[in-house]
Amino acid sequence: MATLVSLAGGAALWELAGRTADTSSLPPLSQVLGRLAEMTREGTLVGSVGDSLVNLALGLAISLVAGLAVGTAMGRGRRTEAALGVYVHALLTAPSLVFAPVFFSLLGAGRASIVAVVVMYAVFVVIVNTASAVRTVPPHLVEMARSYGASERQVLVRVVLPAAAPLIMAGVRLGVGRAVTGMVNGEMFIAVVGLGRLVTEAGGRFDSAGVLAVLLIVIAVALGALALVQAVDRVVTRWTPTTWKDAR
Amino acid sequence: MITVHGLCKSFTARDGETVEALRDVDLEVAENEFLTVLGPSGCGKTTLLRALAGLVPWDDGDILVDGEPVRGPGPERSMVFQNFALLPWATVLENVAFGLRLRGVARAERAERARSLLATVGLAGCEAKLPGELSGGMQQRVGIARALAVRPRVLLMDEPFGAVDEQTRRLLQEELLALWEEHRLTVVFITHSMEEAVLLGDRVALMSARPGRIAEIVPVGLERPRSRDISGLARSGEYAEITTYLWERLREMHAEHRRDGVAS
Repeated sequence: MATLVSLAGGAALWELAGRTADTSSLPPLSQVLGRLAEMTREGTLVGSVGDSLVNLALGLAISLVAGLAVGTAMGRGRRTEAALGVYVHALLTAPSLVFAPVFFSLLGAGRASIVAVVVMYAVFVVIVNTASAVRTVPPHLVEMARSYGASERQVLVRVVLPAAAPLIMAGVRLGVGRAVTGMVNGEMFIAVVGLGRLVTEAGGRFDSAGVLAVLLIVIAVALGALALVQAVDRVVTRWTPTTWKDAR
Repeated sequence: MITVHGLCKSFTARDGETVEALRDVDLEVAENEFLTVLGPSGCGKTTLLRALAGLVPWDDGDILVDGEPVRGPGPERSMVFQNFALLPWATVLENVAFGLRLRGVARAERAERARSLLATVGLAGCEAKLPGELSGGMQQRVGIARALAVRPRVLLMDEPFGAVDEQTRRLLQEELLALWEEHRLTVVFITHSMEEAVLLGDRVALMSARPGRIAEIVPVGLERPRSRDISGLARSGEYAEITTYLWERLREMHAEHRRDGVAS
C-alpha cells in the first residue's frame, strides 16, 4: 500500500515537473508513456527486451553460482580469503565498464561479451556478501553440528548456508541491481543490441521521451528481477526476527 | 567408563598471552555416574568438557571412553549447550532430529523418535514451532531431547541451566534427574552453582583456576532417586554440610588468586 502511494506521488511529481519545465529534455510522464506505446507498436521494443533479458539471465546465473561458490570458500577458509580477497575487493571497487574493451577483443562483439560485462558488474558484490555472511555464522552452531559428527559438507549444507542465507540474499539483491546496470552498459558500449541499442538510438535522435521510455522498461526489468529475489528471500529468511519499529 | 589422564591444554589468547587452561587433569567417571564439575569462572571446566566431546585438541594426556582414545566427536557422546545452540530456522522437530539426520536415519524413523522424545520432555504439540517462539526453558528441553535422540551413553552438559530463570532451573533439574534415572546414562555436568553440583551429582569434581586442575573430588551421599523432591533435599543437613564445605574450598581458591594477583 505504502509502495503504491509512493509510486503515484512520484508519477504526479514527474508529470508536474515536466509540464512546468517545458523543455524537450524533461518531457512529462504522459508523453513518455505515449512514446512507449508507440515503440511497442513499432515492434522493436519486444524483441529488444527479450534480447536484454537473455543477457541478464545468463549473466546473473553465472554471477550467482560463481559468487556463492567463491564467497563460501572465502568465508570458510582463512587462506582462500587471504589469497582471493585482494582481487575481489580490487575488482569490486574498479569501474566494471573498463573491462568492456578487454571482453570485446577477447570474446568479440556478441552475447558472450555482454554477459561477461554483466558478470563483472554483479559477481563481486555477491562474493563479498556471501563471504562475510558465511564468516559470521554463529560459531556455537557450527560447533554443535561438529559435536554430532557432522562432516565439513554437512556443516556447510545444514548449518552454514542456512544461517548465512539472510545476508547472502542481501548481496544477491545488490548483485541483481548491478547486473541490470551492467546489462544496459554492455549493450550500449559493446554490441549495440537490446535495450542498450534502443537507448543509444533514441539518444542519437535527441528523443528524450524515447530515452526515458526505455529507462522505464529497464527499471521495470530491474524491479521484476528484484521481486523474484524477494520472493526467494521471504522463503529463505522467514525465521529471522525483525525490528521494524511499526511491527505490530 | 571415561578416563582422563594427565590432560594439559594451553591456548593463546587474543592479546598474545598464553593461557594454561588445563594442567594435569586426572578424572575417572564410572558407567552411569552423574558427575558434576564445579569451579570458578575461567577455571577451564568448559575446555575440559569440549575436550571430552572431541571438539578441541589438547597438548598432552589422554581421554579414553570405554578404553578407546577420543580423537573427535563420537556417536556415544552427545552434548547439551549453555546457549542451547538450536538452529533458529528449523522447527523444533527438525532440531531434535538433527543428529539423526546427520547420521542418515530415515525420515519416518527420525520423526517418530523426535516426537516421542519431545513428549518425554513435555513438549508434545510444539513440533512445528520455531525455537524463537519458545521460552528459554523450553528451548533447553529441545536441546536435551536432541542430545538424547542419538541414544548416547554419555551426556556432556555445559552449564545447561545457566541461562534460564531460577524456577525453570529447578524444574529442569528435576526433569533431568528423572530422565537420567530412567535412561541410565553417564553424565558429566558443568556448573558454577554449588547447589546444582550437589543436588544433581553423585560426586562433585572441584576445579581450581589458572591453571585449571581438579582440586578435589567430593562424594555426595544424598540418597537416590532424587527427582521427586529436590527442594526437600536442599533443606537436608547433609546437603548443607557439603555445600558449606565446597564454599570453604572455593573461597580459599579465590583468596589464593587474589594473593597471586590474578583477577577473580
